[in-house]
Formats: sequence, structure tokens, C-alpha cells
Amino acid sequence: MKLTEFLLAFGGSFCAGLLFNIKGSKLLWAGLSGMAGWIAYAFVVTHTGQLFFSVFTGAIAVGVFSEVMARILKNPATVFSIPGIFPLVPGIAAYETIQYLLSDRLQEAGSKMVETLAAAGAIAFGILLVTALFKLAFSKKQA
Amino acid sequence: MMKNRELMDVALKAGEILLRSGAEIYRVEDTIRWICLGYNTECESFVLPTGIFISIKDNTGLEPLTSVKRISRRTVDLDRIDMVNSFSRQLHLRLFTYSEAIDELDRIEKRRQYSFFMRLISAGVASFVFTVLFKGSIYEGLASFLIGMLIFSAKELLSKTGLFQFFELLVSGLLAGALAVLSVFLFPEFRLFKIIIGSIMIFLPGVAITNSIKDALYGDIVASISRLGEALFTAAAVGAGVGIAVSLGLSWRF
Repeated sequence: MKLTEFLLAFGGSFCAGLLFNIKGSKLLWAGLSGMAGWIAYAFVVTHTGQLFFSVFTGAIAVGVFSEVMARILKNPATVFSIPGIFPLVPGIAAYETIQYLLSDRLQEAGSKMVETLAAAGAIAFGILLVTALFKLAFSKKQA
Repeated sequence: MMKNRELMDVALKAGEILLRSGAEIYRVEDTIRWICLGYNTECESFVLPTGIFISIKDNTGLEPLTSVKRISRRTVDLDRIDMVNSFSRQLHLRLFTYSEAIDELDRIEKRRQYSFFMRLISAGVASFVFTVLFKGSIYEGLASFLIGMLIFSAKELLSKTGLFQFFELLVSGLLAGALAVLSVFLFPEFRLFKIIIGSIMIFLPGVAITNSIKDALYGDIVASISRLGEALFTAAAVGAGVGIAVSLGLSWRF
């Protein structure tokens, strides 16, 4: 069951990468980046049950993977991190916020909105933290 | 050595390609500065999600040269970001002449996307994947595979007519909602929500919201707020489309 989930995350990031016009073998790495993120996320969420912390860990995994691959393949890290975070980002929570608003359920809408922003914040912070650490470690220009 | 006016052309064009391809603001500004630096010229750039301002200081100490470029349509195209990035790196190893640089940027701008068929299939597969990943059944996944492909082609068709983007998203949402309701009529064991979230996942602004917070953490507050606004309207357009279709569809049935 877990394995299929990982493969699905790979497929999701792979397809997102294709729609974001990533070319050639980099697509495979983009898919693996999504898989790495989902493995970290799934591991933490089953052990702690904390959504935002798990999403944050997932983003860290995506960030590390992307920065390492960026240095090996000489690409900007975003080529791997944007498709990589695709399975984790709170698109659905944003959609649910709107659905609650449409059905006049303001309290649920409010809490979903906060969830959306907090999850997005956790992911953004996770990715940037890794970027900053890599920049500190290898202070090269224009990575 | 490139004339300032020519350097401006190159920097502006590189910045424009980056911004149109959905690059982060800091990357656009850095690349512009980096290109100017390659030609030993000081420049200042100010980039918003909807426009680029560049001012190049004249090395004779006379008036600075300033240009503005308005950007209207933005997509995510990581291939172009990648290419412009390596362009600006190469430039520091070997200075391009004006025509070389413009040719190279033209070549980047004309790089082809994947064929419509490939993108259609991957939109379908993405829909399937996200329905199943978020605990839908395989059959629900197959339904959203079909719906995902249908709304992807509808959106591509609509974007050719050149209407504004939110309208395209609203129609995509309407279509997704209507088709999902239809599939639930045909197969009553399907769960509406699972099918909908899978098939609209690629239109939802999850990445956009995350990127806007990334911009804020970099200190690009203006860009961050405007991107957050854009993401909000995207979610509202898709969500409203789905909501209208679903509530009409379900009330007609019951």
C-alpha cells in the first residue's frame, strides 16, 4: 500500500513536471524529487500525526534532493523543487476554502484558509531553509 | 563591448523570458544584474509580477538609461528558466556579442513545449494519480483521468480565444463539476469530492500560494502579495465553477 503511494507521488510529480515543460531525463529526477518528499511526509505523518510538521519535513526532503541534483546536473534547484512539492502543496485546501464559503459555512472556511496558508508557509519555509543552508555551505555564485 | 542600449535589450529580454516563465522575482532581478555585471556595467532592476523596470548607469557618468517592460501573461515553464539560467552563466565565461546574445535568447524563447497530446495524457495521468493518492478508488481515478483530459483540452481551446484567464478557470471548474456529477449519476458508488479534487488539481494554485510565501520570505513583499491575490482569485474561479455546477447538478437530480 505504501509503495503504491510512493509510485503515485512519483507519477504526480512527473506529470506536473511535464506540464511545467521540463525536458528529457530531468523529468525522472523531478518525479523522484516528488517521491522523496512524499516518503518523508508519509513517514512523519504516520508517526506524529501532525500535518504541518509533516509537510515541512516533506519540503525539507524535496529541498535537499533538489539542491543536490541541481549541483550535480547544473540546473536551478527550482526545476526539481517545484514539481517535487506538487503533491504536498495545499491546492485542495484552497479549493475547500472556496467550497465552504459558497455554502455559507464561514467557520470551516476560515479554518481551511488558515490551514492552506500554514501548509504553504511550512513548505516555503522548508525549501528556503535548505536553500539557505546549501548557500552557506557552498557559497558559490548563481547556483 | 556592447553598447548600453544593446545591453539593455539583452537584459530586458532575458528578464522578460524568465518572468513569463514564472520565475521567482529575485531570480529575475539577479539574472538582470548578473548579465549587466558580465559587461562591467552597473544596473538597477525592479521587478514586479506584471512588469520589469531596468535602469543602466552610463559609464561616462551621463544620464542613466531606463526601460520598462509590461508582462501580461505568465505560465510556468521550467525549461526556459533553466535555459536562461545557463545563458547567464555562459555569459560570464565568454562574453557574447549583441547579435549572439539576442539569437540565443530568441532560440530559448522559441523552444517548443511538449506536444498537445503528451500534455493531454499527462494532465489525465496527473488527475488519476491525485484522485488515487488522496484515497480515491482506482475506478474513481479512471473517471477523473477522463475528466482531467476533457477539461485540459477545453482550457487549451479557450486560451486560444484570448479571453481573460479567470474566465478559462471558471469554465474549467464548471466543466469539472458537471462531469463529476454526471459520473456520480452513472456510478452511484463514486464519491464526488474525490473525483473533483483529482481532476482540478493541476489548475489549483497550491504551488502559486507556496511561491508567493517564498517571495515574501525573500523580502519581495509587493510581488508576494500580488501573487497571493492571483492565487486566491484562481482558487475562487475554479472553486466557484465547480460549486455552481455541483449545486445545480445535484438539485436537479434530487
